[in-house]
Amino acid sequence: MKALPRCLLLVAWLLLGAGGPARAQDQPLVAALSQAQVEVTTGFSGAGLMVFGSTDQPIGPGGDEIIVLARGPTRPIVIRRKVAVAGVLWVNGPAARFAAVPGYYVITGTRPAWQLLPEPERQKNGLGLDALPLESTGARAPAFRRALLEQETASGLWVEDQTPVVIEGNRLFHVRLPLPATVPTGVYKVEVLLVRSRRIVARQPLTFRVDRVGTADRIASVARDQPLVYGVICVLGACLAGWLGSVLFRRS
Amino acid sequence: MQVYLPIAEMSVDAFLLIGIGFGVGWLSGLFGVGGGFLLTPLLLLIGIPAPVAVASGANQTIGASVSGLIAQGRRGNVDYRMGLVLFSGGLVGSVLGVQLFALLRRLGQVDLAVSFFYVVVLGTVGGLMVMESVRAMRRRGRPGHRRKLHEHGWTHGLPFKVRFRKSRLYMSVIPPMLIGGAIGLLSAVMGVGGGFMLVPAMIYLLGMHTAVVIGTSLFQVVLVTAMVTLLSAIQLGTVDILLTLLLLLGGVAGAQFGAAMGGKLRGEETRALLGLLVLLVALGLLWGLVRPPTSLFSAQREY
Repeated sequence: MKALPRCLLLVAWLLLGAGGPARAQDQPLVAALSQAQVEVTTGFSGAGLMVFGSTDQPIGPGGDEIIVLARGPTRPIVIRRKVAVAGVLWVNGPAARFAAVPGYYVITGTRPAWQLLPEPERQKNGLGLDALPLESTGARAPAFRRALLEQETASGLWVEDQTPVVIEGNRLFHVRLPLPATVPTGVYKVEVLLVRSRRIVARQPLTFRVDRVGTADRIASVARDQPLVYGVICVLGACLAGWLGSVLFRRS
Repeated sequence: MQVYLPIAEMSVDAFLLIGIGFGVGWLSGLFGVGGGFLLTPLLLLIGIPAPVAVASGANQTIGASVSGLIAQGRRGNVDYRMGLVLFSGGLVGSVLGVQLFALLRRLGQVDLAVSFFYVVVLGTVGGLMVMESVRAMRRRGRPGHRRKLHEHGWTHGLPFKVRFRKSRLYMSVIPPMLIGGAIGLLSAVMGVGGGFMLVPAMIYLLGMHTAVVIGTSLFQVVLVTAMVTLLSAIQLGTVDILLTLLLLLGGVAGAQFGAAMGGKLRGEETRALLGLLVLLVALGLLWGLVRPPTSLFSAQREY
């Protein structure tokens, strides 16, 4: 795993640096991903994805700064608050429904976004967990949003400024996006932002997919497309396993 | 060894699942219960989403019960006729139960309702079983005291009488159908096969011959959980076959060991142990309801 980023960086360096100064000037920011697809097999236990690139001016303190933002597909989530009935029995009380919660949200940068951009600019672009637009219906108290944030952060799917973007020789930046075993499948959007004198001067959108492949994918697609067949297979499979067990462990 | 579950969309330790399967399968073989009332809470504990845990738990229960059922069937301890009568009631009950479950889900009170049902039903059933079996153990050894085969009551005036030879009963099909229906309803709400309620109901309410109770309840559990699995796969798409098969890998072995051990125990001892286990689960869930929660908030993904 250690050797791979080095190798990629070399390739990137050759592509970007050797491409000639003229091309780099047309595009102040060039960025790419190490993979366009992350494959989730039955043995999947998490992965990582490299975001790397270069700018036309030196990167680092006093120069260009980079922010990397990655979002996964959204899904609806309900947050419920427990209330005590008669002082002893804890039951679900008010609830807030968040219709589109990103299943993955990672933001990182050469420095935290709040240091790089003026506050209104950062809020407008939704850079940071506190600036994430989350529409909700039902209970309105801010505690519900806070609870959602805590939950997602604890699951490792929402990460803010955990590992900063690394700069190599003032020219090249790279960062590894952690993809834990629980990542949802679907299309992921990555945005690389170039910040120059506290303004976003360039942005490059990138995408990658997280797909189930092999057995895991076949199982999921049969379950989705032919639920009746899948259900019958599940029932028969369980019966067969039970029968096999009683044959194998038969004692006379 | 980590394994990715395609429907639950998460990866878990395969050996943990096999181990859970073994433990639950062992109890299933020993007591003639599906073990769903233990399995579902355990799966939730390791982070499987609730709908997947319930549906796949039902699916695993089929396998574990088939294994136990074959073991019992070989000894001639299954009253298939009684099992089918119970199941015909259970069909109606579980369809009603699914509607009730959907209503509770809309109200956001599934957690409370499920826990509440568990505490009340398990507490009552467990308490009765322990009391009865302790009494039976005290009585044992006293000569000349023999229980009547069964009491004659108002149920014997009901029509549609059928002879259940294995159960040593000649009775109307209405009481077993009602019992099957009530248990079908409860099992749809609680997401379990219902064996732990069925075993005592068959002994105390129907007065069935004890030897065939476990085998017959396994037969009925297989039918009910097969239906729950099919309905879940079609309506909700929440059955994870890989999760099921891993649980079964341990479960089928466990069920055989359990059945072998169950043969060595006396009937009242088995019932006392099952009663204690059921009471323990009820107390655990009651504690969960009254204990001040560590976090006031809970998140739930909508399916």
